[in-house]
Amino acid sequence: MASHKPRRRRKEDTSDATSRDVARPNPGTSSSSPQFPLASFLWPAKNSVSQWVTLPLILMVVGLFRWATGFWGYSGFSIPPMYGDLEAQRHWMEITTHLPISQWYFYDLPYWGLDYPPLTAYHSWLLGKIGSIIDPRWFALDTSRGFEDQLLKVYMRATVLVSEYLVYIPAAIILNRKLGRMLGVNNWESLVALVAILMQPATILIDHAHFQYNTVMLGFTLASISSMLAGRALWGCVFFVAALCYKQMALYYAPAIFAYLIGICMVPKPNVGRFLAIAIVTILSFAISFAPLLLGSILDQYRGIPVSTTKETPSPPSITSLPFAVNEKSWYFPSSLQLTQSIHRIFPFARGLFEDKVANMWCAVHTFHKLHNYRLGQMQRISTVITLITIWPSMMIISLFPYRELLPWAMASTAWGFFLCSFQVHEKSVLLPLLPMTILLGSERGLGTELRAWIGWANMLGVWTLFPLLKRDELRMPYGVLTLLWAYLLGLPPTSFSLYFGRQSKNGELKVLTKMLHLAFYAAMMAWHAGEAFVPPPEDKPDLWVVLNVLIGFAGFGVCFLWCSWQLILRSGLMEDYFGVRMKIEAADRKKKQ
Amino acid sequence: MAELYPSIAQCAVVATAFKVLLFPAYRSTDFEVHRNWLALTYSLPIKEWYYEKTSEWTLDYPPAFAYFEWLLAQMAHFIDPNILKIENMGYDRWQAVYFQRTTVILAELLLIYALNCYIRSSSQPAKQTSYAAALSILLSPALLIIDHIHFQYNGFLYGVLLLSLVCARKQSGQLFSGLMFALLLCLKHIYLYLAPAYFVYLLRVYCLGSKTRLDIHLVNSLKLGSGLVIVFGLIFGPFIYWRQLDQLLSRLFPFGRGLCHAYWAPNIWSLYSFTDRVLLLVAPRLGFVIDQDAVHSVTRGLVGNTSFACLPTISPRTTFLLSLVSQMPSLVKLFLQPSWETFVGAVTLCGYSSFLFGWHVHEKAILLVVIPFSLLALKDRRYLGAFRPLAVAGHVSLFPLLFTAAEFPIKTVYTVFWLLLFLLVFDRLAPVPSRPRVFLLDRFSLLYTTVSIPLIVYCSLAHQFVFGERYGFIPLMFTSSYSAIGVVGSWIGFLVVYFTS
Repeated sequence: MASHKPRRRRKEDTSDATSRDVARPNPGTSSSSPQFPLASFLWPAKNSVSQWVTLPLILMVVGLFRWATGFWGYSGFSIPPMYGDLEAQRHWMEITTHLPISQWYFYDLPYWGLDYPPLTAYHSWLLGKIGSIIDPRWFALDTSRGFEDQLLKVYMRATVLVSEYLVYIPAAIILNRKLGRMLGVNNWESLVALVAILMQPATILIDHAHFQYNTVMLGFTLASISSMLAGRALWGCVFFVAALCYKQMALYYAPAIFAYLIGICMVPKPNVGRFLAIAIVTILSFAISFAPLLLGSILDQYRGIPVSTTKETPSPPSITSLPFAVNEKSWYFPSSLQLTQSIHRIFPFARGLFEDKVANMWCAVHTFHKLHNYRLGQMQRISTVITLITIWPSMMIISLFPYRELLPWAMASTAWGFFLCSFQVHEKSVLLPLLPMTILLGSERGLGTELRAWIGWANMLGVWTLFPLLKRDELRMPYGVLTLLWAYLLGLPPTSFSLYFGRQSKNGELKVLTKMLHLAFYAAMMAWHAGEAFVPPPEDKPDLWVVLNVLIGFAGFGVCFLWCSWQLILRSGLMEDYFGVRMKIEAADRKKKQ
Repeated sequence: MAELYPSIAQCAVVATAFKVLLFPAYRSTDFEVHRNWLALTYSLPIKEWYYEKTSEWTLDYPPAFAYFEWLLAQMAHFIDPNILKIENMGYDRWQAVYFQRTTVILAELLLIYALNCYIRSSSQPAKQTSYAAALSILLSPALLIIDHIHFQYNGFLYGVLLLSLVCARKQSGQLFSGLMFALLLCLKHIYLYLAPAYFVYLLRVYCLGSKTRLDIHLVNSLKLGSGLVIVFGLIFGPFIYWRQLDQLLSRLFPFGRGLCHAYWAPNIWSLYSFTDRVLLLVAPRLGFVIDQDAVHSVTRGLVGNTSFACLPTISPRTTFLLSLVSQMPSLVKLFLQPSWETFVGAVTLCGYSSFLFGWHVHEKAILLVVIPFSLLALKDRRYLGAFRPLAVAGHVSLFPLLFTAAEFPIKTVYTVFWLLLFLLVFDRLAPVPSRPRVFLLDRFSLLYTTVSIPLIVYCSLAHQFVFGERYGFIPLMFTSSYSAIGVVGSWIGFLVVYFTS
């Protein structure tokens, strides 16, 4: 090191392997320029900069945006007596740390009784234990209800961030890399897609502003997809069960995953061993997830701790309606009671078709034709049948053509189907179909005109349908900032129309009909915002703007569902000469293996 | 030459998004200070501005800044008239927060413009390095912490300074540069510290002829002289006419304040007080005489006259003389070799001298050094070697400004992000120097940077864990002494580079 020369010299930008999707060649020169602002930001990392430098920088920036979003309000701030989602999560930390495990699913159910699967409960227990070291008042039993303290807010925000950085973000990085390698995407373009995925506004707003832990469940889902892409179906099952046992909403993906797993056991020839392995691993994963709860309650019964502190032991309906009587003294009674009670809590069949206004079919139909007139059970059956009919084609395709690269498409398609047609859907559930769609930005030509336009449009629409919810939490400002920022980074309307009118639009990738459709929706969204901000609704229709949001959202999501399903069909090769394409793919696969 | 990406405008858009998200973050009393100024400039005649004292935050910036506040107040009237009531002390409804935070962001547009001018004014081979330096200033964690969280208008003021520095680059802009700097002095008098460098440079290149050193360029001298009289006359004129100058100056220069500011800016005096503290511990064994009254003064960190227990007391006159004497050699060199780069170097050194030896220096004043130095940091690797410890120390020393838990991740992660990004980029871009450089300095700065990690962990987490609320001065003392070592180290490094090139 005795010389005074720099240790490393900068490489000249000569190689330019990036595609035109991201880098537009400058006419007359060998240089190129970025197609959209996000590509500009990563432009300096295009050549020769190691990912060990860019990745930490990216993680810091996306973390800063998440944390800054957390400065804003959260759901239920200072709204007694029930407060909101932050209070629910805090309350779970309170009861899991103070009560014996057998009482978790029974304690004072009307006040935010635990209604998530056990992994959430264990997670709450851990966070409650750690938080109690800092300040025991935060999670004191009963007296801490509605506790609002600046430091508590910081702690709760930090737990969301840390959980996300432990689950969602590593899973997203690994999946993005795997998807890119599998489909031959240039490393740098994968990085651009990764930032786009991590800056997705809807997820940041719901988790870090409104307050929830969706990214844990979504992260497990990503890990599951990434294991399946790597050909490790068993690990995929483990992660997917983890997602399910964290938040039951992951069921939206279950049909696609189920069909895919069936597919890989059947095609090209039936494989019983694989089928058995998948079944056993799945059951074992569920067993392990529920084991602490079930074993703990057996132990509690042995110690003589009652299940409920109130006089009468509540019996979940499912256990009373069993055809045979369960002996309350038997050894297996506590575990069966826990199991049935937790399932009863997790799946609230008794609740209505939909709660708030949500952009799905039932809420849209309800606007014109009141659905209160039907019995609940009848409606539930109808909605189940319609959901199954909607997702059937996608399930069939993914099980007949279980190609790994089709999995995200199938998941997006079935999740949209679920979101649109099943009952008890929350507006926040739109995160589920958006996730597999958004990760496709990292697939082959993911940043090209077509996919960027469609995925961007779906995300803008999705976050827009969350606006009424965010407005209630006083989150209009972060909504505006994060949504416009994402649109700006990806070159989407309303910040840029280059996908629709500019140079990029001339390559004919987007059909005129698509352009008109997208632009009509963008125009509707902007007009809606203007109207909502300045025109008060008429007195007899106080919900006018929310209902309009639901109707437009439903129409758009319907289009998203059709597009995802259509892409799945196209990409499966069903429409082409089936066998010819199959052989080509198999030949390519063999080549890859060699 | 290909375009440089990301462009300044693109970075500004994303940075603005981040700054808007920080609207609800912690804000210091400076927020109320500026609200009070909005109110008093709006509701009182100019005559009474410097006499108004309903709030304890009286107007203590020069008149041009007060006119600027008046201008903002005209807009505030449309947003929320309650901002503009003097008796509404501590008013912080969201309208006020949104409005005042937005004015900081908008006023910073001037900085962006100045940085653009800077890039355009640099020669083709240096385009890339000046672009990197401009980005580092735009995204500076110091500006983020001080302006957008703590609340001040430094971005705007440093925009004026940079514009004036850039104008001085070309012969045709020198007059304008001088007038711009005069305006800057009328906006905030802290820039008086940089005035000697301006004086010498403009005297040498504008007022004196190029042939011999004593050939006076009469027309230019008259132009500059009359220009300065007009600028100062327009801004201070009314107050002179009303015979308020004494009152105004007593507001601008409150000499009643102590040697060290509440948080101990990382300068010579913080090292001096640290030594005093250490001596206090060992004094009984060595048999020194201790001034018992002084034992508790510095530890409390109160603004007031600081007295020392063992070491001699420092008077304002001493600090003034020390600053001036330490500036002299750099000014002599500037007079002999009046190039633009020497000029920026001299401005930086004036900033260093005043920061290191000045009376009642704020830690925020480190920007006086960091920003002009950024323009030179990429000149070659020797400059960069001196810049590194300053970049670490200057920003770490700002951490105590934000003491709330929620802002801790923002200030630390953002600073680490900035340091990692720009020190790596600078490392790649800085050209090889023509003279060999001292590698010991590199080792020193690496070691120095590493020490900052346990220091921050101790000061923000471990200390509270071990001692709770007791000994609150220890983290502050460590931070400022640590940063002072870095600032002094980089000063010595820069002196060497400045005088040998």
